[in-house]
Order: sequence, then structure tokens, then C-alpha cells
Amino acid sequence: MAQSQDTRPKEQDVETGAAGHGAEPRGKRTEDGQATYLVAIAEALWEEMERDERVYLLGEDIGVYGGAFKVTEGFYDRFGADRVMDTPIAEETIVGMAIGSAMEGFRPVAEFQYADFMTSGFDEISTALARVHYRSGVPLPVVLRGPSGGMVRASSFHSINPEPWFAYSGGIKIVCPAFPGDAKGLLKSAIRDDNPVMYLEHKWIYRRVREQVSEDPDFLVPIGSANVRREGDDVSIITYGAMVHRALEAAQTLEGEGISVEVVDLRTVVPMDEETVLRSIEKTARAVVLSESYRFVGIAAEVASTIAEKAFEHLDAPVVRLAPPNVPIPFSPTLEDAFLPGVDDIVATVKNLSAW
Amino acid sequence: MATTQTRQRKDTDPRLSDDELKRALYLVKLCRYFDERMESLYRQGKLPGAIYSGRGQEGTHIGVVLPLGPEDSLFPTHRDLSAQIAKGLDLKRIMAQYWGRIDGYTRGRDGNSHIGDWYGNKTWTVMSHLPIAYPVACGAALAYKRRGEPHIAMAICGDGSTSNGRWHESLNMSAIAQLPVVWVVNNNLYAYSAPNELEFSVPTIAERAAAYGMPGVRVDGADVLAVEAAAREAVERARGGGGPSLIESVSLRWKGHAGHDPAKYVPKELLEEYMRDKDPVKILEERLLSDGVVDDQEVADIQGRIEKEFEDGYEFAQSSPFPEPEDFSKGLWVEDGYWTSEPGRGGGTEAS
Repeated sequence: MAQSQDTRPKEQDVETGAAGHGAEPRGKRTEDGQATYLVAIAEALWEEMERDERVYLLGEDIGVYGGAFKVTEGFYDRFGADRVMDTPIAEETIVGMAIGSAMEGFRPVAEFQYADFMTSGFDEISTALARVHYRSGVPLPVVLRGPSGGMVRASSFHSINPEPWFAYSGGIKIVCPAFPGDAKGLLKSAIRDDNPVMYLEHKWIYRRVREQVSEDPDFLVPIGSANVRREGDDVSIITYGAMVHRALEAAQTLEGEGISVEVVDLRTVVPMDEETVLRSIEKTARAVVLSESYRFVGIAAEVASTIAEKAFEHLDAPVVRLAPPNVPIPFSPTLEDAFLPGVDDIVATVKNLSAW
Repeated sequence: MATTQTRQRKDTDPRLSDDELKRALYLVKLCRYFDERMESLYRQGKLPGAIYSGRGQEGTHIGVVLPLGPEDSLFPTHRDLSAQIAKGLDLKRIMAQYWGRIDGYTRGRDGNSHIGDWYGNKTWTVMSHLPIAYPVACGAALAYKRRGEPHIAMAICGDGSTSNGRWHESLNMSAIAQLPVVWVVNNNLYAYSAPNELEFSVPTIAERAAAYGMPGVRVDGADVLAVEAAAREAVERARGGGGPSLIESVSLRWKGHAGHDPAKYVPKELLEEYMRDKDPVKILEERLLSDGVVDDQEVADIQGRIEKEFEDGYEFAQSSPFPEPEDFSKGLWVEDGYWTSEPGRGGGTEAS
């Protein structure tokens, strides 16, 4: 359903500073039932652990400490050391143990302190996790969670969007929610899925976006389903993750200038919901593919080529990618802001495209 | 059963019955024969893909698997097909796998000794990144421990894998969590062309166990019964809650890394010494003959049975159909149902 209300976060509502990690408590729902993205993720984990004793968590500092971002605060006291397992700093082993225990019937959810460190477990993810079922028929109900993305001045090693690396592997579903409700529903779906799922939670969204979130213990958002977040007629912006929020802000600005923008939130990167994307292009005939992951061989490139290939006859303009160049993510505010697609960049790109 | 008085089992583990000893002899001879015949077919151009010979290392492969029960899991490498055979894999389906047929354990999705049978004999389907299975073995062992089950996980790798970080991570993890695992290093003296002295700077791999806080033992891979004794001790320790152990079993890789490799980097004298004095098949056979566990006729019968099994396996593989080409992408996702239904058998038996 289209939602046109202003979901932009107000900086004064952000509950913590910079990268969001530190000793601050996770927080809880507001009295009227709104949850932050961080709270929604924690609720999904908690409910699935209550529901299914095969579900357990493993990762670094997730037990007594409650996790670097406090997602698992309080879990250790409720579920104990076996189900909230602190591991050494050994990412290959974290992934490998998740695989082995899944082969024996458990449903592990492994936390990476930052999604950047998924590359420290790369081989176990892309070679083992992605290929066990195809070659042997043994399902691996494994979830790998990690905070991804920039916009928080966390520089090169705490800001990555790793989804293209792992999308290439095949055999791993990848979800990138942008809103608390989707975060909760998609994580619950991921834990119940019999395939490996990489769940990338954007750290900029953690404490900045709040909304009403279902308390139904079986509330699920299906994996592989995109969502038209804002309906429009002139240009489609296809995006996901934190860039959805920038796209919505740009759309609001453009509305004042008489350009009607449709914003499609992919929500899932693998498998991609081509149908929803193509339906939007049939309507608007113009596409901006916006991503925070790199431009060259990135997710935007894949979406853009799909549109060019399958919706050519509907297009009135070239498909445009808006994504950062393939350079390390810089720290200094002026550099990071220049590196990432900003609201102004989106507005300018849409205007150019609508002139066709 | 022969009476013990008529044999001199001074060197033979008295815990093993005659039947167990005969089974060990059958297995080492089967694995040797299989390896030789498959190499021959490969050299004649009759076998597609690659071969990774484990010849000369049967003592390690059979010795470590003998103490395992059907519910214990095994995580081997592509060099360790003999261990998978000892764990129970069917020669017919193994050969169907080599020829890329639908009855192979991976339904043609992989070839040669990149094989496994998790739901049948509890073996990992081998991946080429060899230490990749070490952390996975930790996970299986973690599951047994959490559920209080009396099962153990055993992982085999070569000396080459001990240079990789995952080997160290996994030993460390298993000791911290006191997991029921047995780590086996089949030290065949070479990692492809790299000799031991280019791989590690301590005298033995076994002594590294101390650094992780677990027992480590080095055994002679030429002596299947010595390997079996060391493995049994480690398996029982793990099963009893005593945590992980490391076994380094030393042999020589008689053949190259793979079928294409003549292994000229191995000194001729070293190879001759191992083939002459440290042949695990010859050593076991001679010992069981001299101890009166078997006689010449029984050995000949075992050999005849092995050759028949090989021929049956070969015939089975040749008559098994290839996978249907359009099925190549099936089985990626659980929900496509490929692995829970019978596969198509209309692929014919002629390769394109």
C-alpha cells in the first residue's frame, strides 16, 4: 500500500549518537505501540526463540554484554548461555558452526558485530553456506545478521553494504528492510525459512525510524516481496535500505515541483521481486535505481539491466543508476556526504529524467 | 571363530575380534583396488573429471573410521574417499558419482570424491576448500552436546589444511566449548608440492594440540591397528564428555595431488621406502596371515569379492542415466522440492 506520510526521522528523536553502538539501552516501544527498527528486530528474535527451541543465537559479545548495538540486551538472562552463545572472534567458525548445527536440526541466528566483518567469514558463507543444499539436499536454516550501511561517520570498516558480494553466491536469500515493521516481519520469516538468509539491518535506521509494529506473534513479511512505499506517476525510484528514506524525502520535495515520484522499496535483494519493479516501470516509464551499495557490479546495476531487458518497450528514458563509486567509504563528513547519494542528487537525477 | 591360542596376536589389538580384523583387511584392500582401477580408467580416458588418489594412506582412513558408530558424523576431504567407504558409502553410487550420473550421491551436481551422504552414513559432502569443514564439524558436535546425545564428530584434513586459519580457529573453539570432536590430520608429508618443512616450524603437528588445551598424538599411518587404537581412545574420550583430541597420522601420498600431477617433487628414495616398508595394506595382510586370523584362501576370497563389487559398481554406473539437463538449477532452494522428490531419469546414458 502506498504511504505518503512523512517518515523522515527528526534528528532530535534519535536516541543515541554516531554509529548507534555503545552502552545505551535498547529502549522499548512507546506507550502507543510504536517501535524503533532496533526494538522491532529484538522483538522478532525474542518471539522466535520463545516459539521454537531450536532457534539459538551465536556471535561476539551478544551474551552478558547484550551485543554491540544492544539488540540482544536481556536475552542472556531469559534464554541462558547455551542459546545466547558468546563466541571467540572467529567469523569463519561462527558461520561454520551455524552450518554444522543446522545440519543437525538447529536453527541458528549468527550475529556479526558489523556487516563489514562478514568478509572475515567469506569462504564459509559463499562456498559452504551457499552450496550445501544444492549439492547434498541438506537444508541449512541459518540466518546471518549484521548492521550494514553508512551515513553515521563510521568510515571504511563499519559502513559496508555487503549484499552484492553475497548475492553473487547464489543460494543465500538477502533481505534489507527499511522500516521497523518490515524489519520485524522479515526477520521472523528469515528464521522460519529453511534456506540460508542474510539479514542486513541498516545501522542508521536503528534508532531513527519508529512506527506502529504488529504484536501478532505470527506477523510475517514474506521474503522476495517488494513494496510500493509511495505511489506516483512520472518517475519510479527503485531502492532499498536507508536509501528508501532519502528517496521518500526527495519525492516529497519533487511533489512541490509538480513531479510525481513512485518509490519502490525492494525489501529483499535475493530473490528479487521483478514483478513489482516492472509493474512500476509500466506505469511511470522512467526509472532511477538508487542504492547505497556500489555502482559497478552492484545491486543497482542488476536492477537496471533487468528493467532494460524486460521493460524496454515501456521506457521513455534511459534507466539511470544512482549509487556510490567503488571506493572505500570515507570518514570525514564532507567526504562521506559527497560519496553517498544525497537527497539533492536524487532530486536532480529525477528532474533530468523527467525532462525526457 | 579361531581360538586365540593358535595365533600370535602379540601385535594385534586384542579388543578387535576376528571379524573386525577381517573387515579392516577387506576395507584396506577394497580401497586400494578401487584407487588403482579408477586411476587406470582415468589414464585410459574412460573417466571424466579428476581423481584424488589416497593410495598409501588407507591405514589412516580405515583406522580412524573403525571406531565410529552410524550416528557419528564424518567430515573428510577429497583425499579421504577410503574413509567414506569405511563409513558405509555404496560403491555403486560412488561410481555413479564419478561418471556424473543421477544415482551418484550428489545427483551429478558434483563429481569424484567430492562426495558425501549426510542422511545415510552421516558424511559431509566434500568441498575443495579443505579446512572449510572444520568449523562445520564444531557445529555438529555442538548440536550433540546441547542435546546430550552420545555422538561425536570426526573431521579429517591433510597437513596442508593445518596452515589455514580455520584449522586453528576450530581447534580453539572445540577446546573452549569442550566439544565432542576428533580432529584427524592425515599428514602425507606434502601439501600438493609443499613439503612439511614449508608448512610448519614445529617438529610435529600433534604437539600443537597442547597449545589449544587438548591431547595430541602422532601415529604411524602404515599401521591401521595403531591408528585404530589411537582413534578409539579419542572417540571414547569425546563420547564420554572429555572434549576434543588431535590425531596426526603420518604416511606418504604415493601419487600426485590429483591425477594430472606426476609428483616429481617427491624424492624417489622416499617414495620407494614408503611403498616397500610402509604399505598399510601389505602390513595388515601379512600380520593377519602370520597371526592366523586369515589364510591365503580367505585373502583370495576377499580379493575376488572386491573385484566383483568393482565390476558391479562399474556396470551400475554405466547404466545409470545422466541427470536431465534442464534440472541443473533445481535444488538451489529448499522450496523447489528437488531433493525431496525422485529426480528425472530421462537423461540417457550417452554423454554429449
